Amino acid sequence: MIAGRDCSNCGKASPASGTILDLKYKLKKSFTTVRFSILLLTPVAWTAEMVAFSTLEKPSSSPTPPTHTLYIATSKKLPLLFKNNKAKISYFCIMANSLRICSSSSTTTALLNLRAPSSLALSDSPGSDSGLGSISFPLKSLKFSTRQVLKPPHRTTKLVVKATEVDISLSPKVNSIKPSKTVAIADQATALVQAGVPVIRLATGEPDFDTPAPITEAAKNAIREGYTRYTPNAGTLEIRQAICHKLKEENGISYTPDQILVSNGAKQSCVQAVMAVCSPGDEVIISAPYWVSYPEMARMADAKPVILPTKISENFLLDPKALESKLTEKSRLLILCSPSDPTGSVYPKRLLEEIAQIVAKHPRLLVLSDECYEHIIFAPATHTSFASLPGMWERTLTVNGFSKAFAMTGWRLGYLAGPKHFVSACGKIQSQFTSGASSISQKAGVAALGLGYAGGEAVSIMVKAFRERRDFLVKSFGELEGVKLSEPEGAFYLFIDFSSYYGTEVEGFGKIENSESLCRYLLDEGTGCTSPGRCIRG
Amino acid sequence: MANSLRICSSSSTTTARLNLRAPSSLALSDSPGSDSGLGSISFPLKSLKFSTRQVLKPPHRTTKLVVKATEVDISLSPKVNSIKPSKTVAIADQATALVQAGVPVIRLATGEPDFDTPAPIVEAGKNAICEGYTRYTPNAGTLEIRQAICHKLKEENGILYTPDQILVSNGAKQSCVQAVMAVCSPGDEVIIPAPFYVSYPEMARMADAKPVILPTKISENFLLDPKALESKLTENSRLLILCSPCNPTGSVYPKRLLEEISQIVAKHPRLLVLTDEIYEHIIYAPATHTSFASLPGMWERTLTVNGFSKTFAMTGWRLGYLAGPKHFVSACGKIQSQFTSGASSISQKAGVAALGLGYAGGEAVSIMVKAFRERRDFLVKSFGELEGVKISEPEGAFYLFIDFSSYYGTEVEGFGKIENSESLCRYLLDKGCTSPGRCIRG
Repeated sequence: MIAGRDCSNCGKASPASGTILDLKYKLKKSFTTVRFSILLLTPVAWTAEMVAFSTLEKPSSSPTPPTHTLYIATSKKLPLLFKNNKAKISYFCIMANSLRICSSSSTTTALLNLRAPSSLALSDSPGSDSGLGSISFPLKSLKFSTRQVLKPPHRTTKLVVKATEVDISLSPKVNSIKPSKTVAIADQATALVQAGVPVIRLATGEPDFDTPAPITEAAKNAIREGYTRYTPNAGTLEIRQAICHKLKEENGISYTPDQILVSNGAKQSCVQAVMAVCSPGDEVIISAPYWVSYPEMARMADAKPVILPTKISENFLLDPKALESKLTEKSRLLILCSPSDPTGSVYPKRLLEEIAQIVAKHPRLLVLSDECYEHIIFAPATHTSFASLPGMWERTLTVNGFSKAFAMTGWRLGYLAGPKHFVSACGKIQSQFTSGASSISQKAGVAALGLGYAGGEAVSIMVKAFRERRDFLVKSFGELEGVKLSEPEGAFYLFIDFSSYYGTEVEGFGKIENSESLCRYLLDEGTGCTSPGRCIRG
Repeated sequence: MANSLRICSSSSTTTARLNLRAPSSLALSDSPGSDSGLGSISFPLKSLKFSTRQVLKPPHRTTKLVVKATEVDISLSPKVNSIKPSKTVAIADQATALVQAGVPVIRLATGEPDFDTPAPIVEAGKNAICEGYTRYTPNAGTLEIRQAICHKLKEENGILYTPDQILVSNGAKQSCVQAVMAVCSPGDEVIIPAPFYVSYPEMARMADAKPVILPTKISENFLLDPKALESKLTENSRLLILCSPCNPTGSVYPKRLLEEISQIVAKHPRLLVLTDEIYEHIIYAPATHTSFASLPGMWERTLTVNGFSKTFAMTGWRLGYLAGPKHFVSACGKIQSQFTSGASSISQKAGVAALGLGYAGGEAVSIMVKAFRERRDFLVKSFGELEGVKISEPEGAFYLFIDFSSYYGTEVEGFGKIENSESLCRYLLDKGCTSPGRCIRG
C-alpha cells in the first residue's frame, strides 16, 4: 500500500541529481545498510525501473516491535516513469535471492518507505521529512541475512505486494474557505518569539492587559469549588441571566435566558448565526474594511459574501444608498460591526436608523450586529445596539463577548442574543460542534458582568489607556507624509492608508507592493508584527 | 381605524408597535416580554394624533391608515434543519433544570466522571490564571501542549506525530466534527457501528455526508463484524468511525479484531478511519487499548481523536485533540481558525499538567478507574439478577448499555405504557435520570 498521493503527480518536479548519493551517505552514517533491488510495475506496462535501496532497523528503544524499514533512493527516472505513465503504482516486486514470496494473509507487515527530494515531499510518515510514500508488505515471509544480501542478486524471487493508495482529498467545503490570515500572522509571531526573536505584537486583536483581578478570583474560586463539569449547552442559567440584565441595562434590549446562547468566543457565536440563517446561494453583505472571518463564515454556510466598500473620507461607514443598491432578493444577512474591527469606526445612531429603514423594507434581510468592542469607545462617540432600534429586534442577531472589554481573550467566551427561533437553531449546531463553553470561564464571565456598568473602573482604566495610545498614534502617523487615516472612535485598531508608499523599493528587502509586503517588511526589519490590510479590505 | 387617525407618512422615523396576540400554539415570533405574539407591525407614530375621548366614539367615517407591514423571513438553513439536536445534551439540560428547580435527580445521563479534577491539574489551572496566561493561544494549541501530546501518543500509544500534526480544540467533539467536515464531501458515506455516540450521524450531516449505520449484536459484545463492514463498503465510503472503549456500550476492540478491520480498510483507497479514543484509560483488565493508527499501514489514513474530559475529569475545561497526517490536520485547523480559534489558554496549561501525571494518568487516574470498575462489577451483577435483562459486560468507559426490550409493552400504573427506551427513560426520570438507548442505537 502506498501512502500518499496519486503517483501520477510525482513527476512534476525534477529530482535533485544527488538523491541517490546523499541518501546512501546518510544511511551509512546511521544505520546498517543492506542493498536490494526492486522492480516497479505499473498497470500500464511492465516497465521496470531499477532503484537502489537499503534496509535498516528501527531503534530498539521503540515501544513497538522492530520493523524492517526499507528506504528507496529514487533514481532520476522514477518520477519520470510516474509522470509518463500517469498511472498509479499498484504492484511492487522485490527481487533478491534472499526474499520469498509474501503471503497476503500474514498480519505482520514491513514498511517500505519511498524517499524523494524534499520538493516532492508528499506524505509525512512519522520521522521522515520527505517521504514519497510507503508500502506495507508482510514481513514474516521475508527471510534474509545480511551476508546474503550483500551479494548482488543473481536469481529473482517475485514478491507481489498489492499497494493501495490513500485518497487524501479534502471536502469542497474546506477547500473553499481560507485560513484566518490574522490567526496565521499571530501564530508566526508566536513562533518567532519562541525562537527568541523580539517581536512587538500588533497583529492580534487583544488587549495587552491582564484579566482584571475580580474576574480571575472568581475563576480560581470556581476551580477550587469544583465547577469543572459540563454546563448546559447554551450556558449556565446564571450567566445567561447576567447577560440578559446587562443587555437591558446597558443596551436597552430585552431578552430572556432562552434567547441567549453562550459559546467558546464570539467568533463561534457569529459563524453559528450565519450557518443557521443562510441557505446556499444567499448573500451576506459585508462592508469593507471587514474582519477577515466574515466572508469565510459566509462560505461555511455556502452563502456568497457581497463586499461593500466604504471610504476613508466617510470614516469607513456604510453608505445607506450603497447598501440599498446592493440588495437583491438573495440578500439574507447584513453584518455590522460597531465599533469596527479593523477601522475603529463607530456607527452613529442616526446612521443606524437610516440603515434600519432600508432593512425594514426587505423581509429576507436579517442583521448580525457584532458588538464585541462596545465598551472600547471614546467620547463623544456612543454605542447603539442595532436590536434596540424600532422594528429591528425581530431581525437582529446580537453578538457580544468578554474577550475585548475584559481582556479575557484566552478564556474563550462570547454570546449571541436574539429571537428564540434563531438562537435555538444556533444552539442545535453548537450541541453537535462543541457543546457548552468552559464552566470556569462562565463563572469568570458572571464576575465580569458584575463589575458594574460598562465594566466599571476595571474597564475604564483600560479604555483610558487605549484612548491615550490612539491619540498618540493618530498624531504621530498624521505627521508622516503620504499617510491617510480616519481617527478611530472605538476599538484599538488603526487602519492606515499607506498606499502612497506602494511601489517603493527598499534596499535589502525588495519592493513594497501592497499592505502584505509592507507587513512582511515590518516584521523582518522592525520585528513589528502587523496585519495586512489586504486580508481585511478585500 | 378611527376618525382620529391620519394617513401615515412612511418617512417618519418614530414608530409605534402594534402587537397582535394569538394563542400560544400560533406563536411565531417572540418579541421581548411577550410569550405568544403573532407578530408586530411597526408604523410611524408621529402621524397618529388621537385623544381618548375621540376614539371611544364608534367610527362613522373610515380613514385609511396605510401601514407597510413587512414580515421577517425566519426560515432556517437546510443544513441546520437537517441536523438533530443532541439528545443526551438535551436530557442533561433537562436534568439540570430539574435540579435547579429543587427536584432531587440522580444524574446518570451525561458522560462525565463524578470526580473532581485531580489536584495537580487544578493547581496548574490556577497558576496559569495567576501568571496571566489568559491570552489567545496559537490556533492549533500552544507548542507546549502539542509537544506533550506527541510525547503521550508515542509513549502510551506507540504512534509518532510531530507538533504540526496535532490540533487542540474545545473538546474532542469539536475534534471529531472538524475531521468529518474536512474529509467528507457531499454524498460520501460515513460508516458508524451501532450503538453509537449520538453525535456521529449528525457530524456526518454537517458535512452533507450520509451516515451508514452498521448494527452490532449484544451476543458479540457490540463489536463490529469485519464481514458486515466489508459488505457495506461502497465507492462512496469515506470514513469509518471507531470508538474504543465505546460510548455507549463500553466494548473494547481487541487488537486482532482491529487488525482484521485494518486489512479490509487497506483495500479501499477512499476509506479513512476516525478513531475516537477518548475513553482509552478507562479500561478494565484484561482488556487493553490499541490505537488504530499504530497498526501497520494505518497511520496514513487514521485520524486519532483523544482528549482530557473523561480520563482526567476535565469535562468543564473543554479540551480535546486530533492527531493525524499533517494534510488532514491542517485542513481541520483551517476550519477551526474560522470557527473558534484556539482553545482556552488556561485549560491548555491544565492539560499539560494532566499529561505530566505519569503513564496513563498515574495514580490520580487509576484511583478513578478503580472506582469505575467496582461500580461496573456491582451494576453488572445487580442487573444480571433482573429477569429479562440482557447486558454485555463493558470492558471500558463508564456506561452500561442494557437490553430492557423484554419490558416493552408493559403498562405502568400512573405512567402509561413503556413502549421503547425513550418512554422507559421518561419513566425513570420521574424517579431518576438516564439516557434513552433509542437515540444511540439508531
